[in-house]
Amino acid sequence: MPEQINNLKTFSLSEVTRSIQKALEEKNTGTFWVRAEMNKLNYYNRSGHCFPELVEKRGEVVVAQMRGVIWKMDFITINNNFRRVLREPLKDGIKILFLARVNFDPVHGLSLGILDIDPSFTLGDLEKEKQESLERLKLEGVFSRNKELAIPLLPQRIAIISVETSKGFADFRKVIDGNAWGYHFFYHLFPSILQGEKAVTGIIQQLNRIRKVLYHFDVVAIIRGGGGDIGLSCYNNYSLAREIALFPLPVITGIGHATNETVAEMISHSNAITPTKLAELLIQKFHDFAFPLRDAEKTIIDKSRRLLSEEHARFSHLARLFKSATRNVLQTNKTEMKSMSVTISSEARFRFQSEKHALATLSTGLQKDVTAHLGQSRSEMTSCMISISKGSQYTTQNARQQLEQLRLIMPARTLELLIRSNTEVSAIEKNVFNLSPQNVLKRGYSITLLNGKAIKSINEAGNGDVITTRLSDGQLTSTVEKIKKEKDQ
Amino acid sequence: MNQVNYTQAFEELQAIVNEIERGEISVDELSEKVKRAAFLIRICKNKLMTTEADVSRILKDLDKTADESEG
Repeated sequence: MPEQINNLKTFSLSEVTRSIQKALEEKNTGTFWVRAEMNKLNYYNRSGHCFPELVEKRGEVVVAQMRGVIWKMDFITINNNFRRVLREPLKDGIKILFLARVNFDPVHGLSLGILDIDPSFTLGDLEKEKQESLERLKLEGVFSRNKELAIPLLPQRIAIISVETSKGFADFRKVIDGNAWGYHFFYHLFPSILQGEKAVTGIIQQLNRIRKVLYHFDVVAIIRGGGGDIGLSCYNNYSLAREIALFPLPVITGIGHATNETVAEMISHSNAITPTKLAELLIQKFHDFAFPLRDAEKTIIDKSRRLLSEEHARFSHLARLFKSATRNVLQTNKTEMKSMSVTISSEARFRFQSEKHALATLSTGLQKDVTAHLGQSRSEMTSCMISISKGSQYTTQNARQQLEQLRLIMPARTLELLIRSNTEVSAIEKNVFNLSPQNVLKRGYSITLLNGKAIKSINEAGNGDVITTRLSDGQLTSTVEKIKKEKDQ
Repeated sequence: MNQVNYTQAFEELQAIVNEIERGEISVDELSEKVKRAAFLIRICKNKLMTTEADVSRILKDLDKTADESEG
């Protein structure tokens, strides 16, 4: 009840809250549908109630904010609807359309009581978000980046992001470790939560760890399974999808659910629906390598064998051919030789015969000729001898007569010759006397001497030289005063 | 590592198979080619059945890089 204090009418707090409560309840008895973003769900485990933080944003600016209340029983119903329609539980950061009633509690104040939430509205919103992630990744040109990476022929070393105890990981190991072909794989676990809000950061964190030991691995596998198909909207998260797209190793996914493919699965290098299928995909890669290998081995053995046997056949065929050809040639040659030898033999016999005949004829002819010739020669010789004998008798006679004649002529001739010679000698003697130097000097010639030697040229004497001139009856001594040379000499 | 890695070995082997299938290998070359093919097959088979991965190395490398990022 109001109290009078210092002439003022005052109310207790509870009177005011009760009054507000009354006023609100009188005006807003009904329920209405509200669109808002549920920033935080604020689920209380112990009570089972939720006190969501509801906001309306324009861009990033909050233009309205209010607390909501979902009582335990309503929450269970709403959450079940969500799981059924969205395959997601109620969670933070989704847009919701909810049936509300204004609540006012004297202690907790104003709030919106949430009686129901329409899951299809949220579904549309999540789908929109997924589409936005996809659009953005495509726009940035990273959507097919991981798909473009070359996966090794044998993706043998696998970095696994999973949960140690998950059924999915166990399924994967069963196929890989138990493969009947003896294929050898190596895998190492990088543990992370794989569903719900925390999966985004968890997986990104493990991808960053793998980045540090990249060169130990061929491929990254994200393996999830056994957790039902709830809480997978994290795989539509833009940041996670981008991280996978840009990862330097091929990322393969085996997330294990039957609904629409998530962005992470779309963007990964390869996606298998379940961990088992993922393991089989890897085994298949090994088959793709091992089968051609086996075929190659078989082909090489078969073809080599065939090639050798063909070559062998060709060779023996050739050998046979060679043998028969050789035999033919030998046979032909033998026949030819035989016929030739016959020809030669008969030809030779004929030749001998004819030569013998010719020789006989020749010999007879020769004998006749020789006899005739000899006869002729003998008569010629006889006549020659007779003429020689006659000739020599005559010549001797002649020579004797000539000798006799000569003996008679000789003495008279010799006397005549002696007389003639004597006259000739007298004439010569007279000539020689006339030419002697004494006679020459007598005729007026003189000899000039210098130092006892006759000189024949003016060049042999100089001015002042004492010269001797010999004449027929004595000699003059004089000195040279002048030398004059005859001009024409 | 082998001098020929298994991818190269696989490709070279395919090339030899193609050659032999097309009849491009003469008897003279055959022995050499078959020897080479056997060698390549051995490399490939070995790769199928073994890995060179070493867990302790991976863990060591992870620790090392973690230390570096902390320090």
